[in-house]
Amino acid sequence: MRRNTSAITKTAAIIIAVIIIVAGIGGFLYWWVRLGPAAPRKIKIAVVSDIGGRGDLSFNDMAFKGGEEAERDFGVEMIELISKVEADYVPNLETAAKDPDVKLIVGVGFLLSDALVKVAMKYPDKNFAGIDTYAQAIVKDKYPDKYPLPNLMDIKFEEHKGSALVGAIGCLLAAYYNEKGGNYPYIGGVFGIEIPVLWKFEIGYKWGCDWALKWYEKKFGRKAPIIGEDSRYGTGPNWKDGMYCPPETPGECWYKGRVLWTYTGTFSDITKGYEAAKPMYAKGAIAVYNIAGPLGLGINRAVKEIAEAKGLEMGPPFWIGVDADQDWINPGFVIVSMIKRVDRGVYYATKLTIEGKFRDVVREYEGVMTLGIGTKILGIPMEGISASTLKDLDEFVKMGINAEKLTGKKVLPMPPEEIKAKVKKMRELVAPWIWEAAKELEEKIRKGEVEVPCVFTKEKIDYWRKILG
Amino acid sequence: MTSAAIQGVKRLFQKLKRPLLESLLAIIIGLIIGAILMAIFGYDPIAAYSALLIGSLGSFDGICESLANATPLMLTGLTFAIGMKSGYFNVGAEGQAYLGAIGAIMIGSTIHLPYGVHLAIATLFAMFMGALWSLPVSALKAWRGVHEVVSTIMLNWMALFFVRYLIEYHYYEPGRAERAMPVLPTARYQVLGASLTTVIFVAVAFILFAYFLLWRTTLGYELRLTGSNPEAARYIGINSTRVIFLNFFLGGLAAGLAGATQVLGRPPAWTIYKTLGNVINLGFDGIGAALIGRNHPIGIIFASILLGVLSYGARFMMYLGVDPDLTRAVNGVIIIALSLPELYRIIKRLIVGRRETE
Repeated sequence: MRRNTSAITKTAAIIIAVIIIVAGIGGFLYWWVRLGPAAPRKIKIAVVSDIGGRGDLSFNDMAFKGGEEAERDFGVEMIELISKVEADYVPNLETAAKDPDVKLIVGVGFLLSDALVKVAMKYPDKNFAGIDTYAQAIVKDKYPDKYPLPNLMDIKFEEHKGSALVGAIGCLLAAYYNEKGGNYPYIGGVFGIEIPVLWKFEIGYKWGCDWALKWYEKKFGRKAPIIGEDSRYGTGPNWKDGMYCPPETPGECWYKGRVLWTYTGTFSDITKGYEAAKPMYAKGAIAVYNIAGPLGLGINRAVKEIAEAKGLEMGPPFWIGVDADQDWINPGFVIVSMIKRVDRGVYYATKLTIEGKFRDVVREYEGVMTLGIGTKILGIPMEGISASTLKDLDEFVKMGINAEKLTGKKVLPMPPEEIKAKVKKMRELVAPWIWEAAKELEEKIRKGEVEVPCVFTKEKIDYWRKILG
Repeated sequence: MTSAAIQGVKRLFQKLKRPLLESLLAIIIGLIIGAILMAIFGYDPIAAYSALLIGSLGSFDGICESLANATPLMLTGLTFAIGMKSGYFNVGAEGQAYLGAIGAIMIGSTIHLPYGVHLAIATLFAMFMGALWSLPVSALKAWRGVHEVVSTIMLNWMALFFVRYLIEYHYYEPGRAERAMPVLPTARYQVLGASLTTVIFVAVAFILFAYFLLWRTTLGYELRLTGSNPEAARYIGINSTRVIFLNFFLGGLAAGLAGATQVLGRPPAWTIYKTLGNVINLGFDGIGAALIGRNHPIGIIFASILLGVLSYGARFMMYLGVDPDLTRAVNGVIIIALSLPELYRIIKRLIVGRRETE
């Protein structure tokens, strides 16, 4: 026993001695190398991810892509900090803030709001930006005398405008397939928990449908088949030819009730997404918009079931993606996605920091930089909302390939080339005027010729639901 | 008097010498393997390790953050250690911590009480909820002979979905939806620095209480004897059902408190996220803390601090550019190396015990 212990002691002593010597030499070499030619110090930006980090094919990947574009265009260096759990947010932001070369720290995702407020107050000489956050609202609520915090910027997106675009595409899609003998009287929307942020999506989507059906009427000189004309949507004193003409908007009529919508009360229960979407498709919704994050996979399940039962290679039925380009998830069945350009948010925040205008923007817009369609920041156009295109798909497929390399797990449902070919074919199969109409709507929004209602109060949502159903 | 004290210190040193040397050796081996891993992938191990240490221990904030990370692990580690003292493999701290966290919310965010009283009641209720979740384990074990590993793992999953349900449908913060309602300011522990709060004192006090209970009371003796010599325990008439219930209940209290530390004692959120991201894995990491700390309450405190340092310091390695996954792997290697001595002892005891019964 005694001999045994002393043997352990001796071995330990030798190992420790070796370690110390090796560490000494290593440390010396390290300093020696480091103290060599001093390179000019680059400005750094730090991107603190939400949980998951790279490979989510959504906000995190987009944010890093924006950072890479900023590296390319402005010569900055991006540092990536991955959050493993929620408790990592504050330490990660602080780690970045302590580096003297870091000028801008970006937090990705609304979950980082509280953490951003805390760290931004502690490091007043650094710039902080949050993607989709509500940090300044917290400042206003908790520290009203400091509002708006001069070094903190929430980057928000005009979801109502993007939702209008995909709503228009959805209803024109129904019109087009009804022309060919289909029976699609509706589009659908599956929502999460009913919070004011989602009202923007809801009314934007419904408004987009109404705009599109009116566009069709003007373009072809007749009402859109079924979805534009039928009287199933309502009857009564204020109804005329399937349209609702309320006293609130004298002389104007609306395509009310074309959108089936459900608030599932959850942002995580995928089964609820399936349960909500299934009856919508049964009632003849041609496409269902996913406004509940992961519940999109539930919608996808409903679509897959129908496709399998009918042996379909491509929609209809379709679904519509949200936040990121989700067209790749089930190629041929996701007609379009409403993308929040998180990458642009990171890019512009870096640009403003380099040009020294970051704090001017914070002052000018009370801490919130809104990117959308036709948005200008300090007079310079900066946009951040779009309906997905084939070019976006290329980028996301690339992200998917990287994610597969990174995690070793299969992410993409089929080989990249097949995905691209299938989505391209799907888009070419539907009438080109659908895409033209979406382009036209986008242009009109950009020029200010039409205004998509932006709804985030109880009064307004009640008003618009009365008009649009 | 002084000589007695010197004798005491000497004896303590004699007793601690072996485990300390073992751990030292283990950590060195772990560090070397980690360094080799990093060198293989082309990173500078010395720079990485020094970033880790300077980051986590080189500033007041760093120390606070490391301790804040350590706090819940002390308690979940204690849950496992108490189980081991009676020979039970209690891996239920995970789920019980979730219950503790939601228990803290139930009292902390919905009821209005004066400061102090509110805090105390919320803490106690959280502990009670954790302990409540241990009852099925004890009942199944005592009366149906269900092995605790099976029942605790199942209950962990039930806890996950049950707590998610409670957050999503009953305790979500209106207008936000991504998390539960934060606890009111009257139910928050004082912040000491960074995200460290006075809840760490409560945690340490509970550990000392457990230490006292295990080594200074008849009850504790019964618990330990059941583990170290079940035959003798049965022979002298120790009520095994009572031991089972008591053991898991104590463990549940500790785990419930661990969950509460993340809600009542962790800024800036003061709540749990619907992903349960800020309480998830506390129970499993606690097993590591228990193994490194030799299943001894005091050892666990130091082991948890070490784990806290590693988990907080890891981001500084990441900041140097070390790949996040590699950072995790290096940490994992160090933790595994440190747990090996105790793991070896447990396995040896199991094998020897089996041989004897044969």
